[in-house]
Amino acid sequence: MSSMTRRNFVATLGAAGALALAGCGGSEQPAENTTDQTTDDQTTDQTPEEASYTLVKEGVLTNVAELGFSPFEYIDEDGNTVGFDVDLSNAIAEKMGLTCEWLPNQAFDTLVPTIKQGGKADISIAGVTITDERLEDVDFSDPYLNSNQALIVAASSSYATDDLDTEEIQIACQTGTTGDAWIQENLPNATRVPLADVTAGMMGVSTGSYQAMVIDLPVAQNMLAQSFSDLKVLEEIPTGEQYGIAVSYDNPGLKDAINDALAQIEEDGTMDELKQKWFGTTEI
Amino acid sequence: MQHKRGALLVALALALTGVFALAAPQPAQALTTEKATARPNEDGGDGVIGGMDTRLTWEGTVEGGEEVTSVTLTLPEGSTFDGSTTRITALEGLKRMDVTGEATPSGPSITVSFDQPVPEGSLLRLEITNMQFPSEGGECVVSGSYESAGQTHELADSKPIETIANTPLQSIVNWLDEQPWVEAWNSNQFLGMFLKPQLLVTSFSSLAPGWILCLGIVVAAYPFAIALGLLFAMLKISKWRILRAIAVIYINVLRGTPLFLQIYIMFFGLPMLNINIDNNLLGIIVMAINSSAYLAEIFRAGIQSIPQGQYEAASSLGMNYVQTMFTIILPQTVRRVIPTVTSDFITAFKDTSLLSSVGVMELMMFSKNLTTVSGNITPYVAAGIFYLIVTLPLIKVVGIVEENIARSERGGGPRPKRRADVADNAAAQMKEVAADAC
Repeated sequence: MSSMTRRNFVATLGAAGALALAGCGGSEQPAENTTDQTTDDQTTDQTPEEASYTLVKEGVLTNVAELGFSPFEYIDEDGNTVGFDVDLSNAIAEKMGLTCEWLPNQAFDTLVPTIKQGGKADISIAGVTITDERLEDVDFSDPYLNSNQALIVAASSSYATDDLDTEEIQIACQTGTTGDAWIQENLPNATRVPLADVTAGMMGVSTGSYQAMVIDLPVAQNMLAQSFSDLKVLEEIPTGEQYGIAVSYDNPGLKDAINDALAQIEEDGTMDELKQKWFGTTEI
Repeated sequence: MQHKRGALLVALALALTGVFALAAPQPAQALTTEKATARPNEDGGDGVIGGMDTRLTWEGTVEGGEEVTSVTLTLPEGSTFDGSTTRITALEGLKRMDVTGEATPSGPSITVSFDQPVPEGSLLRLEITNMQFPSEGGECVVSGSYESAGQTHELADSKPIETIANTPLQSIVNWLDEQPWVEAWNSNQFLGMFLKPQLLVTSFSSLAPGWILCLGIVVAAYPFAIALGLLFAMLKISKWRILRAIAVIYINVLRGTPLFLQIYIMFFGLPMLNINIDNNLLGIIVMAINSSAYLAEIFRAGIQSIPQGQYEAASSLGMNYVQTMFTIILPQTVRRVIPTVTSDFITAFKDTSLLSSVGVMELMMFSKNLTTVSGNITPYVAAGIFYLIVTLPLIKVVGIVEENIARSERGGGPRPKRRADVADNAAAQMKEVAADAC
């Protein structure tokens, strides 16, 4: 008898939790009951598959990211975490019969160690480029987006890229990004200034503290259009890098499940929809 | 020196013309070398060390009318591509194309054959991770060949990549790499993540400049902080209301807002007013201003803790206020505030870490960079040890000084032991007598 009540209690808790988490998806409130049921159905359907991966929190895909990387993930005026990656991970979670949650903002260079360490987050979907160095620490899903780098300078400046390769020039970047590595390799004489967030770097270039900044091209284009009209993209650096979703090597089932979900999202046109929504084009 | 450089330039020019002379008779290049670079692999430095894993990036453009089916890159003898992984990227403008292929290393060269020919007009990038340059270092030119339409052509030489021979520090690390106990230690996830011996060694050497800068900033800032603090302490106990108000506002605003915010305001605000100050100097200024507010309160409390009798005694000797302050009150205050000021110094020293967020190359910045490169927490632990090197002795000093002050406040210096014994005995005897009387 006592076990019955306990089970009831757990079930109620679970339902309450699911209700609370439904908010994460945004505006899908009307379907509360039905979503609950489908989640239940799917979990029962997928019993053999269920054991194939573990999650930090039951029924929740926990995400970790640096939340100052618009339009991929950022915090809007109302304090909500929004962006292309956010919509994408919601879509992935939906395909997997889960809800998704975001951990508080974390510096970009700590994301890969966090996933490697495990225990805090399941995945990092944060505009993380798949590189062989990172692959030594964490596994990646199939690439979901192509990207390039951008070299940003003040709109009024008259630098050419080669002018920047001297010690007096300070070039900002976000710590641990591929842009950071690009400066080290391609402008080795310049003074590299790794910063925690992109806005600080752009602000610095705009005020003249730094002469340039290297950051992912989509982010540069977005932020220049939104808030830094006094900056310009001096050079679009063709790197052809690809973003992937970082997953721990200890959780191979999760990677497979995410890849399945990604394939479905590509196939049913959700991906193109999201690209259209956030970049205004599907050609990216 | 000038001559030498000149000679080098001439030699370089000659070498270049040589290359062009060789290249000229050949049919038009279908694959032109754009650049070849290597990722710095010196821990905490920016050198490319030979004999250690690094990444070679080679870029070339496929010219019009040609397609490339395979590329072979060759490095000087002693380089190795064994155990490397190759990432192939082909781009048309900024658009990525699907090109896959397979890399086959053989000694100092590597051949990448593509499953689909790389079309004309595209930029081809090969990123070869975990390859090694010759361990003796030197200038490494990437040469090689490519295959196009079944024919093999020579690749133009790249600009040389500067590499250096192994450093003593790196040798220690390499030695550690081979030790079985190190391997056992690192296989424990916690120890390997937080206290990896190899990284501790490299962290200590590469964090040192950051540590010096931290110390430099706080040591340079502190005299100014003390002077400013004293000034505002005097203002706060001044007779005039306006001066008191100024001091109260200054102290309360600075103590009531986070240092982080003050740093941001100074580092991003001043340049907007076209005031451009060197980052390190600005760091010193921010630290001095912030500390001065805390010191002002410490001094104020110190001054007010001096008994009123001291002022009265001084005025009975005919001293005026300034004389009293500087010859009677402040000297006594100094002794009383030394422990608190030292504690504040410790806090200020630790707070320099916040300057890393605005690009001052101090201890945290260096360790953050190292953590990024290594994906390991050990550099932070090493930074912690660096902070402790300064703070632990200071904490000890605070303890000793406090003890001394407490003792002197109790009744001035060490007591003669015997007399204390005598007194105790006398007391005991008194008690006995009293007991007897009962």
